[in-house]
Amino acid sequence: MQLRYVSSELGQGLRRNVSMHLAVVLTLFVSLTLVGVGVLFNQQASKAADHWGNQLQITVYLCRVNDSSAVCPNAVTDAQKTEIAAVVEDNPEVADYHFESSEQALSKARELYGDELFTGENPAITAADMPQTLWITLQDPDEYEGITSAVQGLDGVSKVRDMREQVAPILESINMLQWVALGTAAFLVFAALLLVANTIRLAAFARRKEIGIMRLVGASTLYIALPFLLEALVTALIGVVLAGGALWGFMYFGIDDLSANRLKFVPWIGWDEFWLAAGAVAILGPLLTLLPTLVLTRKYLKV
Amino acid sequence: MIRFEKVTKAYPGHPHPALDNISVDVEKGEFVFLVGSSGSGKSTFLRLVLREYRPTSGRVYVAGKEINRLASWKVPRLRRDIGTVFQDFRLLPNKTVTENVAFALQVIGKSRKEIKDLVPETLEMVGLSGKGDRMPDELSGGEQQRVAVARAFVNRPMILIADEPTGNLDPTTSVGIMKLLDRINRTGTTVVMATHDSGIVDQMRKRVIELEHGHVVRDQAQGVYGHQT
Repeated sequence: MQLRYVSSELGQGLRRNVSMHLAVVLTLFVSLTLVGVGVLFNQQASKAADHWGNQLQITVYLCRVNDSSAVCPNAVTDAQKTEIAAVVEDNPEVADYHFESSEQALSKARELYGDELFTGENPAITAADMPQTLWITLQDPDEYEGITSAVQGLDGVSKVRDMREQVAPILESINMLQWVALGTAAFLVFAALLLVANTIRLAAFARRKEIGIMRLVGASTLYIALPFLLEALVTALIGVVLAGGALWGFMYFGIDDLSANRLKFVPWIGWDEFWLAAGAVAILGPLLTLLPTLVLTRKYLKV
Repeated sequence: MIRFEKVTKAYPGHPHPALDNISVDVEKGEFVFLVGSSGSGKSTFLRLVLREYRPTSGRVYVAGKEINRLASWKVPRLRRDIGTVFQDFRLLPNKTVTENVAFALQVIGKSRKEIKDLVPETLEMVGLSGKGDRMPDELSGGEQQRVAVARAFVNRPMILIADEPTGNLDPTTSVGIMKLLDRINRTGTTVVMATHDSGIVDQMRKRVIELEHGHVVRDQAQGVYGHQT
């Protein structure tokens, strides 16, 4: 009986206030989509930084077999690597460093260019073609000359690559897009909160007679608030589903197409990142409607 | 059943308290009229019983509980022991008579079977059998008040509070409602009724508590509306 009452109240409430609910759903839809896009851009930025190094990283290529560089008569040896590590470790400009093996470099390349070049009986590229690298993270992006010159002349070092000038604008653009998305989302989230608050006020006013009687005959606060909470949950779920659909469209028609057919040299985010963004949206959506509903029902429906 | 011990209730911004240090004891099964002019403190008295307000000082006991110390989440359970009837009936216009009465049971989680048993029984008791499918606007004022009484009594509360229940009714209809409240009182339910209706008070000869400017100026068994000399 209780369930029946609550579900009929829920249906009535949604119908009675349909324009307000629609406004909440649409605002949630757009704001959650922007939050999701912000999360995706954030993931894209860290993915790009993983591949190219971030604004603090320089890459040292070590000699490989048949290296074209004149300073590389042979592939780098373990002793040379130990020597290089010691030099890097002692340098005050260095915050952190790590080696990347040929195999790791190969799998990164494979991720970017697809399997074609790397498989088959006689693959075009094998691990031996990929140089081992040393990734150095700087303390200060402007202080890199000391470490660059210290490493440059060491045995086993092919060349030092400082791609920060090329990478920085890309990362900055991605970061900017991320903040534009999240900033716009913040305004819309605020608008959504106000709309939720207004919706509850209107609904509480429309039901003031029922609520008054419920309080008098001893209905519990939760029972009185339940239709409001369920309404909030339903609008949130619709908003989440719409936002999830929009993010899916963004991934499917935008990112997937770009990564499969164009701009292949960029390491693009994939469906793992989509699920992360969708998860964030699925958690945020209900919170955005349930929290203000809980606070305001306590205010308007006080026993 | 209801005990006020040195109860004062002051509202912020008002120079004089609505109730000023009053002590009243209402026994189980009593029928009490609360009389006095507007602003004398009758409604505040009833609201304190319902725990809509807490007293500024003093103690209020209802059904054995000191309700100014009652946690908010326990208030709904207290109210299930109290039925309430108002001057303006407060029926839900979009529900039938039966639905209005059943609503009071639904929202406190009674089973469908209990509702099916109790609602027709109570409607019969208030003299509305056969009118369960009517909408409130198809009923006379007296009948609407009977629905309100049925709703207040359907859960068989220990206390029935009536705030000017005959205020909107003509004298003949009022007598019918009073007979109904008297019948409910005879089942053992304590009835506290605030009223301005001198005819009814004089006729019923029940206990009368008269309030004036927040003080109890008269507490008389088998009393009448005005002062007796």
